[in-house]
Amino acid sequence: MDDLPDLVAGWIGKPVIVVDHVITVERGLWANFCVAVQDGNPLYWTYAAAEALTGSVIAPPAMLPSWAIEHDWLPDRATPALRTLELHFMVKDALGITHGLVREVELVLHEPLRPGDSVRAEQILRSVSPVHDTRLGRGRSWVIDVVYRKPDGQLAGIQTLHLLGYDKPPAHDKAHDKEPH
Amino acid sequence: MDARSLKVGLPLPDVVVPVTRKMIIMGATASRDWQPQHHDPEHARKAGLPDIIMNNYTQAGLISRYVTDWSGPEGRIGRLRFAMRRPICPAADVHFSGMIVDVASHGHPLCWVEVDIELKCQDRVVTTATARLALPREPGAPSPWRCSPADWKP
Repeated sequence: MDDLPDLVAGWIGKPVIVVDHVITVERGLWANFCVAVQDGNPLYWTYAAAEALTGSVIAPPAMLPSWAIEHDWLPDRATPALRTLELHFMVKDALGITHGLVREVELVLHEPLRPGDSVRAEQILRSVSPVHDTRLGRGRSWVIDVVYRKPDGQLAGIQTLHLLGYDKPPAHDKAHDKEPH
Repeated sequence: MDARSLKVGLPLPDVVVPVTRKMIIMGATASRDWQPQHHDPEHARKAGLPDIIMNNYTQAGLISRYVTDWSGPEGRIGRLRFAMRRPICPAADVHFSGMIVDVASHGHPLCWVEVDIELKCQDRVVTTATARLALPREPGAPSPWRCSPADWKP
């Protein structure tokens, strides 16, 4: 693949970053998300209604990736927290690219998360494009999969992110974005 | 919802979501996304953005809500794909519209419905999405939520 650095080429196809059980899935936490997006789906709120359909209340499936974001602060932590989608930043840095943004996201949803669950998330680089010109500047595109599993190994979902990394041309001094949405 | 009444071309009801600064910050915080462009206007402007922007998790949550408000809780989303074309900022009225583009139930205990969705602000498309969700094939048929992991093929 053109002049892709060996370091980045070596990441393709394998889990490079693993985030495991950083937070327990709790109804009180997902209720905040439901409030933010004003989602009254009874499966997230009402035990009696949820029992009949899903057996218990479940976390909003769209919130799946949130359960694998490290705490921003922890007592006695010696190293900085991993950034959201750390592998994206690693790719961008290794390629010497300044700006990055999320172009497209796909969530494939499997087993719903319930109170007391947690997830293990593996970030896998799938592909990196050759250098190409975009309307934002010269850069590369890459695809990262994040595979989420419950502690018993059941698949909770797969998130696929299509990302763009670019450097602004010298005359273009107005950035569109800095990091993933 | 009776899946037997669903046909390609059937529109979903339009919905308008007034986006506030509070919604964007609440969405980012509740989804545990601490990237500064979702809560710090000065940082966002330095990055060339007009203001703070809604994060992708909040957009996923709003699209999911749009679909299941229509389908009811028996609708189980199996696949949600969306492309963010322009940022969503405070004080935007986001117009959601959708249309069924595929219905498949033959030979399967579930009815799979694919819906194309557009989010517009002031007549400009900001996000496009496609959701694939499962519904009971007919009233009284097994719920997609009771589908075994082996049979769940989103």
